[in-house]
Amino acid sequence: MAGWEEVFYGLVKAVELIFSGDPDVVQITILSLRVSGLATLMGGALGIPLGALVALRTFRGKTLVVSVINTLMGLPPVLVGLVYYILLSSTGPLGFLRLLYTPEAMILAQLTMVLPIAAGVTISSVSTIDPKLREVAVSLGANPLQETAILLWEARVGLLTALVVGFGAAISEVGAIMIVGGNLLGYTRALTTAIVLLTNQGEFVEAIALGIILLTLAFLVNAILTLLQMRSRSSLFAQIYTREPRLKW
Amino acid sequence: MQNKIWVMVVAAILTASIVFSTTNPTSTTRSRLVIATTTSTVDSGLLDYLKPYFDKRFDADMTWLYLGTGQAIAVASRGDADILLVHDREKEDAFLASGNGTHRATVMYNDFVIIGPANDPANIRGAGGAVEAFKRIAEAGGSGKTLFVSRGDNSGTHALEMKIWSAAGLDPRERGWYMEAGQGMSSTIRISSEKQAYTLSDRGTWVKLKSALGEALRLQILFEGDKMLLNPYGLILLNPVKYPKINSELAEKFFLFMVSKEGQRLIESYRVAGEQIFFPAFGKAEDIGLPSEEEEVRYWIKRLFENGLEPPPWVKQR
Repeated sequence: MAGWEEVFYGLVKAVELIFSGDPDVVQITILSLRVSGLATLMGGALGIPLGALVALRTFRGKTLVVSVINTLMGLPPVLVGLVYYILLSSTGPLGFLRLLYTPEAMILAQLTMVLPIAAGVTISSVSTIDPKLREVAVSLGANPLQETAILLWEARVGLLTALVVGFGAAISEVGAIMIVGGNLLGYTRALTTAIVLLTNQGEFVEAIALGIILLTLAFLVNAILTLLQMRSRSSLFAQIYTREPRLKW
Repeated sequence: MQNKIWVMVVAAILTASIVFSTTNPTSTTRSRLVIATTTSTVDSGLLDYLKPYFDKRFDADMTWLYLGTGQAIAVASRGDADILLVHDREKEDAFLASGNGTHRATVMYNDFVIIGPANDPANIRGAGGAVEAFKRIAEAGGSGKTLFVSRGDNSGTHALEMKIWSAAGLDPRERGWYMEAGQGMSSTIRISSEKQAYTLSDRGTWVKLKSALGEALRLQILFEGDKMLLNPYGLILLNPVKYPKINSELAEKFFLFMVSKEGQRLIESYRVAGEQIFFPAFGKAEDIGLPSEEEEVRYWIKRLFENGLEPPPWVKQR
């Protein structure tokens, strides 16, 4: 077998694997979803407020903070993995947590990568909101908290994009989770690390099959996002301006 | 209208997070054993083969880290694994001498082979030994006729390769014909195949990969059988005093399993494409030309009987 044949059989095998519900594949897929899903949710929960804070406040050194966040958006996963390995190693400073080679360590590593992505995308999407909206909100008597809420609501598509981009980075990442997860069978083996192992062992068809499952997951998440973006064309700003009945906070 | 959709999205995200955080796909209560091991024991499929037998007998969950010997020893010496199964005697002895390990026994062996392109541009087929074969490869490489791909990853195989080079009085690094892959055995073989180069491989990984890839792997065994190419695997118990956090109880059970009649028989019966690729070695060190392990063998026979297990038949009651 060579080249396209492998890709073709990989496709066939992927369909077989998905529909046969092979327990190993199901487990690997669920672990990938669980680790990257939780890392994205936590990274978003921390990163979005941080990004909003940086975007909406004026303070000294703001430019520097924004550049640092933008740089961290491209944090090399393998470096994140290495640092966490040293920290979590049983003789390391956080060794007492007994986290190395657990799914939790994988979540921690991916969360570290997702957080700056969520913060960075939030900064850019909140910054592009029409400044008039803030003025209107304040003139209508919104307190700072309400003002932030209104602006975040206005930037909601951008925030969702932040989550999707973060999730995409997390689920397709291999360097960090290979090091801190250890690719343990039935415990910390995720789609990407399984693909590396299968490729090493020359099991290309199975590797391609898992790759197709990975792509399918990424596609589904992106499809949902696109659907939402198409639905939320009309903005809150337009509603306020056109005196349409607006939602109660 | 669109607000409804957003409410649904938020609800979906919340539901997903609840589902994610509560479903633990590995809600196993079985005791987990983490073996730090070499790429060859994994790539050859031996551990996959042994796992169900060990798991069932001790109600355990046997897992492993896929590393080269050097990295496996580094991970074990930080206390990040429960037991060590590797193949580099010098590093193993240093590990024991530093007090990181308490017991070591040779549990199995196979051998290394030199593989390369069928047309054998360095003409190593008729070489008198591994050292001479390497000299011929260096010569052919120097005149631009061939290449050599090294593991270059500080593994047991890499250590032996460097030993052969130094016995040949050569330092191949930084030469144009010498490439360092920095990867596991299977990847290194695949790179060699693409480059039509020579490489040194353990027989187990070679057989397994050959059976997986078939004709796509355009290499052959060109040299084998030198005593220097013997490949013994050592199992090392970590020091429980130095590493209190490891699962030393299960590690000892794994040790017993590997040196018992059952474990040794299983190693012997494992086949890849009809070929036997590992040979049991517990209590046979002297027979295969290794230093005596009398003391360790006696200790483990005693422990086997204490645990109601049997030693392999070739180990006489000493």
